[in-house]
Amino acid sequence: MYALRRSTASFPRLYSTAPPKPPVKLIAELRKLAEGVSLTKAREALAASNNDLPAALAWLDADRAASGAAKAAKLAGRVAGQGLVGVQVLSPGARPGASGSAVRAAMVELNCETDFVARGALFNKLLADVAHTAAFLAEPAASRGEGFVREVRLDALGDAPLLDHADPVGASPAGRLSAHANTVGGAVRDLVAKVGEKITLRRAVAVARDPLPYAQRHLGLRAFPYVHGAVTVPTNGTKGALALLAFRSARLPELVASEAFQRELAALERSLGRTIVGFPVTRVGESDGRDAEALYGQPPDMFVNKTGSTVLEELRNWADRNKLGGEGSGEDAALAVLEFKKWSVGEPLESTESS
Amino acid sequence: MFKAQLPATRVIARRLYSSRATQSLYSCARGSVRSPAPAASSLCRPVGRSLVFARGYAEPASSKFSRAKPHLNIGTIGHVDHGKTTLTAAITKVLSEKGAASFTDYSQIDKAPEEKARGITINSAHVEYESDTRHYGHIDCPGHADYIKNMITGAAQMDGAIIVVSATDGQMPQTREHLLLARQVGIKKLVVFINKVDMIADKEMLELVDMEMRDLLSTYNFDGENTPIILGSALAALEGRDPAIGADKINELIKACDEWLEIPPRDLEKPFLLPVEDVFSISGRGTVATGRVERGVINKGDEVEILGFGTKIKSVLTGIEAFHKELDRGEAGDNMGALLRGIKREQIKRGHVIVAPGSIKAVKKFQAQIYVLTKDEGGRYTPFMANYTPQLFIRTADISTRLSWPEDTADAEEKMVMPGDNVEMVCTLHHDVAGEVGSRFTLREGGKTIGTGIITKILEYA
Repeated sequence: MYALRRSTASFPRLYSTAPPKPPVKLIAELRKLAEGVSLTKAREALAASNNDLPAALAWLDADRAASGAAKAAKLAGRVAGQGLVGVQVLSPGARPGASGSAVRAAMVELNCETDFVARGALFNKLLADVAHTAAFLAEPAASRGEGFVREVRLDALGDAPLLDHADPVGASPAGRLSAHANTVGGAVRDLVAKVGEKITLRRAVAVARDPLPYAQRHLGLRAFPYVHGAVTVPTNGTKGALALLAFRSARLPELVASEAFQRELAALERSLGRTIVGFPVTRVGESDGRDAEALYGQPPDMFVNKTGSTVLEELRNWADRNKLGGEGSGEDAALAVLEFKKWSVGEPLESTESS
Repeated sequence: MFKAQLPATRVIARRLYSSRATQSLYSCARGSVRSPAPAASSLCRPVGRSLVFARGYAEPASSKFSRAKPHLNIGTIGHVDHGKTTLTAAITKVLSEKGAASFTDYSQIDKAPEEKARGITINSAHVEYESDTRHYGHIDCPGHADYIKNMITGAAQMDGAIIVVSATDGQMPQTREHLLLARQVGIKKLVVFINKVDMIADKEMLELVDMEMRDLLSTYNFDGENTPIILGSALAALEGRDPAIGADKINELIKACDEWLEIPPRDLEKPFLLPVEDVFSISGRGTVATGRVERGVINKGDEVEILGFGTKIKSVLTGIEAFHKELDRGEAGDNMGALLRGIKREQIKRGHVIVAPGSIKAVKKFQAQIYVLTKDEGGRYTPFMANYTPQLFIRTADISTRLSWPEDTADAEEKMVMPGDNVEMVCTLHHDVAGEVGSRFTLREGGKTIGTGIITKILEYA
């Protein structure tokens, strides 16, 4: 067996004569260059492009658009119950600077058939890219009544040009996507062709808020993510949440500029994120209610240094500690969780409506 | 449970002689040794069920079905479309022709709703078959998390695996995840089956698949050079055509498993270990510790060591009593009393282990792979963070332990563990206890089991 293998590895023939079939060595090379190319496809590509590697790569790219769609149609009847939830925050808000108060973030669930694929680099990159794209394209809510975290229409997202989350402006040509995989839908089909599993974009939500005018500088909004069960990429996990905090403080512009405040804020967000994802909460809740599913009523077990007996108390203590109230504004709820969405991969969709 | 099953199978397969029934009992009994009770029930069920479809081989008890045949659990790992189920069905078909398996078709392998036993859910299909020299339990789980969970709970521990790859696709991006999984569950040797070779006419292409797999195996620290790679068609074997790529290749695959995959040492071959359940003082004789021998063999007069809770005392086993009789020898599975020379009643208690000297050490701190039970499995409702302190039960010992994250974990203070998670954590014990890599334990809090784990690395000995 080993001897046979050696002889294949060093196969110099078939080059000079008109190739009736592509040499195995070239097929191997092509498969190394492009991840997720099946053997049969690699051979087809080389045969079609006269054993020229760059041409074969181009042929494969073009072919994946068709074969991915065909494969996706073939797999349509199967169940894609695994996958990951990805959260991307482009601009969290409540940061110093003129546009620091702008908020832009999104959460997306992408499904596949086995968690083997969900652990892979290709799947994780696609999910992060799609979430980035959804956040980038989100439209600010027209009216207050709609809520902040809004559903993104999947058909619209599918046609949207895909942005690379690591390199959104396309600075490096290596990261640029081929012409056939440059939309969200195209990239999903591209991945279907590569991994041979059904892959579906299940749901997406996004929040977008333009910077607040100077007159409202005492108000602030902050979007924060929480991801649980991340393996390959820290922003993609089996459970995810996207939540919004609101501040009202005369001292806000001065506070957000301070590093200590930002650090404290990040710690608070993580504690809140853990409580939202870890506890069976479905809504923020009223400040006085004894609601078992309300975030505010939960015990503060997920806070690193507990100071109160409920999440609401923790929030108040945090506001006091960080002097959010300042002098003269003794009003309550200077800090509040506005709303949140939390998802867990593969859960039935009805039960997910929260906030 | 076992008793109830035995007569039932006799009724169903009346023509089967006791040898076969013994076999099924044997595989059940093994399961119960290695895994918690709920797991055992599901291990047994498919065995019993498959007997219903068994062909009645009216041959008398022969050495073929002897329970002495070593048992090995083998798993199939591969892409969803590469024919794992077909291969499993083909193996049972080919071997059933020799009378060494009962044919289990697709639908039985794929649809096993009752496999989800209560308690610790086991999401896998179990099939069993025999080669000339071994008895195999065949495991197929749908995903990475299922395999990990089975490894931790011991419900379906894989001793070896068959990686299934289609010749038309070759290795896929997720094949590396499959190999990483095999590494993670502690599999050292694999067998590769390259399926669907009838769809590729070009011999060189098949050699390429072979070569690529060997490269990939070596990349993930498997023995790429010597790993058996069998090229065949499971479908051909299942449909009974082209024996050259079908049935013959299945036989070759089984042979490769026999020769290449290693059998884990059996309990009897391991060094002696007796977890102490109770201690008595018998006047005129001395101190007797009782318990069920976990592994190994001991003879009267052998030197032993008592380990745990800060003690490490040498003694000599001056008497063995089991079944109310004086014995010269005790072995794995026996409930025995051990008379210990020069040991006072206060020196030994429940939770200690009596072991062959030097065969195991007492540990104080170790890293473990832990599965945290969901609330449906009877576990916690809410998450926890580092420094959580449940009770750790290992054999008969009960010790409080602090859970923390391994040293290189980012944001260790901030990480949360939720019910249903598989995590790698560090256990710091309040008292030391005998332990080694591969020892299983459970975590309990307030009278309920919240997790189960397996030691993966010892960090500090007592």
